[in-house]
Amino acid sequence: MNLIRAEVERLGARRFVQLMIVLLMLAFGVTAATTLAGSHQPTAAELAKAQQQATANLRNMELQHARCLARDRGEPFPGDRNFYLPQDCSELDPALRDRLPVAADYLTGVFTFTRQAEPLLYFLVAYLVLFGFLVGASYIGADLNSGGVVNLLLWRPRRLTVLGAKLGTLLGAVLTVSVLASLTYLVTFWAIAQIAGYPGPTNGAFWAELGAIWGRGLILVLLASAVGFAIATIGRHTAAALGAVAAYLVVWELGGRIVLEILDAARPDQLMLASYVGAWLTGEISFWDSSACRTVTDGYCTGSYTLTWQTSLAVLGLLTAGLSAAAFALFRRRDLI
Amino acid sequence: MTSGVIEIEGLRKTFHSVRRGRRVAVDGFDLLVEAGQVHGFLGPNGSGKTTTLRALLGLVRADDGRMRVLGANAPEQLPQVSGRVGAIVESPQFFGNFTGYRTLRLLALAGGVPVNRVDEVLEEVGLADRGDERVKGYSLGMKQRLAVASALLKRPELLILDEPANGLDPAGIREMRDLVRALAANGVTVLISSHILAEIQLICDHVTIISQGRRVATGPVAEVLSGFDDNEHLVRVDDLARAEELLRTAGLTVAGHPDHLVVSGVPDPTTVSRTLGEQGIWVRELTPLRPDLESVFLELTGTPTHPAVPRQVDGWAPDQSADGQEIDLGMRGVDA
Repeated sequence: MNLIRAEVERLGARRFVQLMIVLLMLAFGVTAATTLAGSHQPTAAELAKAQQQATANLRNMELQHARCLARDRGEPFPGDRNFYLPQDCSELDPALRDRLPVAADYLTGVFTFTRQAEPLLYFLVAYLVLFGFLVGASYIGADLNSGGVVNLLLWRPRRLTVLGAKLGTLLGAVLTVSVLASLTYLVTFWAIAQIAGYPGPTNGAFWAELGAIWGRGLILVLLASAVGFAIATIGRHTAAALGAVAAYLVVWELGGRIVLEILDAARPDQLMLASYVGAWLTGEISFWDSSACRTVTDGYCTGSYTLTWQTSLAVLGLLTAGLSAAAFALFRRRDLI
Repeated sequence: MTSGVIEIEGLRKTFHSVRRGRRVAVDGFDLLVEAGQVHGFLGPNGSGKTTTLRALLGLVRADDGRMRVLGANAPEQLPQVSGRVGAIVESPQFFGNFTGYRTLRLLALAGGVPVNRVDEVLEEVGLADRGDERVKGYSLGMKQRLAVASALLKRPELLILDEPANGLDPAGIREMRDLVRALAANGVTVLISSHILAEIQLICDHVTIISQGRRVATGPVAEVLSGFDDNEHLVRVDDLARAEELLRTAGLTVAGHPDHLVVSGVPDPTTVSRTLGEQGIWVRELTPLRPDLESVFLELTGTPTHPAVPRQVDGWAPDQSADGQEIDLGMRGVDA
């Protein structure tokens, strides 16, 4: 427990951590201030007009769907005959849409919480992922490089305990910062929507979806922190983690993708970690599968495949666990010179 | 059977590097430090001192050999005794933006030492007035003192100091010497590795010299030095040429210098004064030339082209060769 206390204090006293938190607060403040400055509370007339537009749009969608169904039944349908209709009418079914038009979609110059909360949360999660990765890498990297770990091991000559305490402290601290930052962030924007914007129609499904993204985002931040920590431990330097990620992005995500496309490989996105990160955050993500349509000679082919958050969790979890296990195994046997 | 505070027997360590290849750092090294000793650990750069200390403290994995610290097998049982061992290894680095006080406080917290001990050790090493300053503003000597303070936090029974005088000015070296003496007087066993041989001679009662990863001398400082005492004397007389001739005739080995003679192999200096006095030559100066640790060190470690030959001068009674050199590296007397 004393070791954890000392590590928490050591982590909190690090300049880099303090700088990243200041940058987070700065980005948060700028985003909130510009949102506040660029938004106004909609008048009753604006809301009514937006509601009318939403209703009209919904009615139009229902009309097109009905026209499509009538075509399938061979029945005449009044109106424009040249209007494009897909082969599968379910594509036009409003009931099958992810979301239906709402008044908030037609409000201009108004910050609408229900429309903006998700992208705002994605932005925060992206920052926290970067924060966790860099802090994780620099925390152990600087300690290994400066002799701090050696000093500590002279006091507590249990390598796995010391490294475990450091990783545990890092994950606990990053989780605490992430929870506090994201709650403050969402509450602030909710308040801005109440005061100078439009909260939008919130219901259980909205909060559940937002909560799921938030939870998955926090787990992603923890995974990124552990990966940064593990690579820096393996490479003995903070720069090892940064270099490894940069090399991976350039060599595999960029170069590898180009090569796979040249080779016309099937489902190249399935081989990229970025796909799993995206699928994990959004819940699921669909990619075009060019191989699925190779044998289709006539007609319409909708070849695609989906990566789900469950698959992504397995991939990202295994990667993190593997790197962490390698880091602990190496650190246990390594000569500290 | 002797039980040591530190016992090292047959320690071997080889480093493997893609760029530099294979390098034997320690090659069957033995060390015995007994309770209450202030033991100097000497060796040229790259002789294996720091590797030995790091292996002892569990920072480097030994390839072979047996090590015990305060009766515990190292490194497996080190956690059992780490609270009784204070150590600094090769100019420890600290976070520059932490104050000296905070640096020690964090170590005290991690080691379960009462935090009020921090003020005491800062006082002991003369940093009480500078404890609230950031370490990056410290001189090399102050950082060294901070390192020593960190080793003292635990009130150790055994203190291992690797080059503690590095970067210290003469006053700092003197303070360090006084500190070590005070600790030794309180019963703390001290192992010091250092390049400052005169300091080791002043502070230490025992010494071990390592060269090319092997022990080449060990024992009480006086005995190590006496093993290299050729009974030389400096002689000054008015008539150097005649005196040299007389001494040679008397069977003594004489080396002539412009203003003095050096006579070797003279256990009793009265032999010189009597030989010359009987012929009417009066001796103006007759000074014994005692070897110092530096000359012994250079003699023992200055022959890198030959395999290091251990020289036994302690009381473990190894087999002796005709020239008195140790030929058996076995750690006799060490608990096997």
